[in-house]
Amino acid sequence: MENYLEYIDAYFQRMLDPEEIKRFEQKITEDKEFADEVAFYLSAKQSLKAEGDREKKEWFRQLLAQQKPVINIDRNRLARKVWLYRVSAAAAVIICVFLAWSMFFSKPASPQQMAESYINENFKTLSIKMGEKDSLQEGLRLYNEGQYDSALQQFESMIQRDTGNYKVKNYLGIIYLRLGNYDKALQYFKQFEDDTLYANPSQFNQALTLLKRNMPGDKQKAKELLEHVRDQDLDGKEIALKLLDKW
Amino acid sequence: MNLFNKPTLSTDEREIIDSIAQNGNERKKGEERLFNRYAYFIKEGIYKYSLPEEDAFDLYSDTIISAIEKIASGSFQGRSSLKTWLYSIFHNKYVDLLRKKTTNKSSIHQTLSISDLLLEISDHSKSIVQKLVDKTDWEILRERLVQVGENCRQMLLLWADGYADKDIAGLMEYKTSDVVKTTRLRCLEKLKQLYHNT
Repeated sequence: MENYLEYIDAYFQRMLDPEEIKRFEQKITEDKEFADEVAFYLSAKQSLKAEGDREKKEWFRQLLAQQKPVINIDRNRLARKVWLYRVSAAAAVIICVFLAWSMFFSKPASPQQMAESYINENFKTLSIKMGEKDSLQEGLRLYNEGQYDSALQQFESMIQRDTGNYKVKNYLGIIYLRLGNYDKALQYFKQFEDDTLYANPSQFNQALTLLKRNMPGDKQKAKELLEHVRDQDLDGKEIALKLLDKW
Repeated sequence: MNLFNKPTLSTDEREIIDSIAQNGNERKKGEERLFNRYAYFIKEGIYKYSLPEEDAFDLYSDTIISAIEKIASGSFQGRSSLKTWLYSIFHNKYVDLLRKKTTNKSSIHQTLSISDLLLEISDHSKSIVQKLVDKTDWEILRERLVQVGENCRQMLLLWADGYADKDIAGLMEYKTSDVVKTTRLRCLEKLKQLYHNT
């Protein structure tokens, strides 16, 4: 059997000139062996594409598992009985106790894992002030509903009007952190690093972001920031001590 | 302020699109950001379209996969915001799903569609190739993919995902795109032999 794969590949990569294209298509109609080979090329590519998509979906599933607000889906809201709520509440308490225990007393393999747990636990939802309905609360509501892009738009328009608002910068940093845009998250957290605040989480959040980004040098830089948080008694000190303990 | 000059895409949307269009290591980061950013569509699928959770996830995943393909191939024009565009794909896929359900077609039993690939073949030759493709034993082909070896499989998956040989060279640390092309065709040949020797 003659090997036509290179020729077929050239056709589908659009590397043949018009005359060659004509001959190629003519050959399909005249040469059964060649037509078979073209069909195999296409079938293989499509089968590979389907396989790749399957793998991508598995990866998406993992990404979704990290987005707890989004997958917090109530399937049968209306049919659920009161006792189920009670069981759920009890289970939630057990899970929380377990998570707290595993976070603070067990030894995770790395500071990165501990940072991941902290982010998932503490940035899952952000606290809202009940009864207040301003732009900030609206942004937080959107965030808590998992509508990150709408929350981003809300906070970005706020920061354009009020460039010194550290709270908004912090929220923007947190959203970008959750979305995996670590460079942008760092950019926002850094912007209020030097602000004199009663509790400034800038450096602690930068450290978390660096641990999550995990590029060369990030771990060391995160350690330095956490040491600074510890030494200067900044916001996040208690967790910083625990993270440093795992180094 | 001139509203007509307002950019359609936000900075973040533009960054996501640029990442995916780069086709290298950046693409995966862009894909992750795209998936995460609009994952709340799944909730919409459940509450607005009354879909089971798994169907809503599939619908959203298919939307993202389709969007990635379009962005990577440069066919997303950016005439609307990324969210609007993505939602229109999501909605269209929902309509397709409904149509499939009402015509009682299970996606599992459908043959893989190669219609997009056949667009590049003239009508005259198309029916011949289509008939031959329809005879493909997809299950066997899938099984043989595992047997070509991990390196070959990885390279062929990237190729089918639309990566150019030069991008594959960068990702898989080959010296040149020519080496990738030779290796890729050799892998394809190996797959063909395995398939035909069934």
